[in-house]
Amino acid sequence: MYEEPYRWIEAVGNRRHYLDEQFAMGAPVVALAYADGIVMLTVSRGTPKLYEIYDRIALGGMGHPADLEKLRFSLLEMAHVEGFNRSPSDVTGARLMKYGLAPTIKQAFEEIYKAPFIAKILLAELGLKPERDLFLTINYDGNFEERRGWAALGATPAVQREMGRSIEGRPEFARASLAEAVEIGLCAWGAGSLAQASAEEAEGEPSPAARDGEQAKAEALPDKAALLAHVRKTVAEKSLECIVLERNGPGSSKYRALRPEELGRLLPPAVRASGSD
Amino acid sequence: MGMQGDFFQLLKEQGYQFGNPAAASAGLEIPNATTILALKYRDGVLVAGDRRATAGNMVMYDRTDKVLEIDRHSVLAIAGVPATAYEMVRVLEHSFKYYRRTQLQELSFEGKLRAVSKLLKENVAAALAGTGAVVPVFAGYDQEQGAAKIYFYDILGAEFEAVEYAVSGSGSPTIRGILHYVNTWGPQPLAALPEEQATVQALRLLASAAEFDSATGGVNRELNLYPVVKLITAAGVQTIPNANLKALYERDVVRAL
Repeated sequence: MYEEPYRWIEAVGNRRHYLDEQFAMGAPVVALAYADGIVMLTVSRGTPKLYEIYDRIALGGMGHPADLEKLRFSLLEMAHVEGFNRSPSDVTGARLMKYGLAPTIKQAFEEIYKAPFIAKILLAELGLKPERDLFLTINYDGNFEERRGWAALGATPAVQREMGRSIEGRPEFARASLAEAVEIGLCAWGAGSLAQASAEEAEGEPSPAARDGEQAKAEALPDKAALLAHVRKTVAEKSLECIVLERNGPGSSKYRALRPEELGRLLPPAVRASGSD
Repeated sequence: MGMQGDFFQLLKEQGYQFGNPAAASAGLEIPNATTILALKYRDGVLVAGDRRATAGNMVMYDRTDKVLEIDRHSVLAIAGVPATAYEMVRVLEHSFKYYRRTQLQELSFEGKLRAVSKLLKENVAAALAGTGAVVPVFAGYDQEQGAAKIYFYDILGAEFEAVEYAVSGSGSPTIRGILHYVNTWGPQPLAALPEEQATVQALRLLASAAEFDSATGGVNRELNLYPVVKLITAAGVQTIPNANLKALYERDVVRAL
């Protein structure tokens, strides 16, 4: 019955709807450049969402753990075989995205007899110089984007825009220390998480309300204290995950997951209060 | 299956072949690399190697690095055919990283040892044919047991744990005797030496090897060429900078006239 083009388009539309629902409760992921590298953070419940892919590449994901695992393995395999056969500097985020992730995810999304990947992925690549740092995100339909400075994953494009607005409201982030970058990241995370929650509440009449809502929100982003209070509330029940890619880190692998005690010291006081003690 | 985190298996599935068992034709001089040693000192393991690569009586290169870091806590020192040895290190390095990143935990120390002997076994045909013999020394810090360890191998892949020290390469017979003597009747056993004294011993041992073995390179002060010396402790692998080696060499290795 899907042979007719119209049916196919309808089926793909249904898929979008189904997938959007799957992400509605997911935790946003945010990555941004800071003075000494890149920091990526999210809040997870049990299964980790941030991973090491290669010497200078980290992955953050939203979605179903099994799908993320499958995509993560295919990236790891591709990166290591390429790094061995050519050289570690030939393993780049852009190539992994264009030739690895995007075709697989797009194909799974459009093959309507099979299950799509319930996954959104962010790849952060640490350049040799700060201006070469690159962030790539891919949506469940295989659409990908490249950006500099920061990137975010959220349930909807509107949520991602809110997170971006929060980061760009602090344009000094590229020169920030790790502790400052963690704070900026947490604020963006909080903005995303709040935007997601309010979109969830207003789900009755989504399209016009969302558009109006966007206009209204464009004026006032919740202030820092409110964002951090929201983060503190969330972190009390779940756990904060934070990784860094450090340009001057020892050895060839620049990826490092921050241990709870180190993260505890870096957190802004407003979050630390009940978060880690 | 990729899910096992076995990078070598993955390479093989893609048609990769380790070791090239072509017989060496008569009269062909294959490059070799030469004196390496590892010894346990007070804080961990010291691994050192000279820097000469030879083919027959030709000196190929005087800046060879035969003490290669595989990851933050392990080092492979190589004696034998460099082509095979470097390839081994590349495979190991990627295997350990791949395992850590897929399985989200470090490969155990035993697992690392197994990986080394597996590669040597793969290489037996090439080793016997004369084109690929490698006799490495593996040294590392076993995080779980909190101890530094040294292992040496034969060309067939048998693995032996060294209690105090291990040597390999054409210059090794010379220094093996010295190590035994120093460790048994010296002022203190090697395992009690602090970092600086252990480094001085390593420099003296390599100088002795170079004295009697033409295939081992000595220190070249004009070119500022010193052996490679690495220390492995709980904190990881650390390379002693040339400047420090130079100072120690001039103070404690050069004979006063």
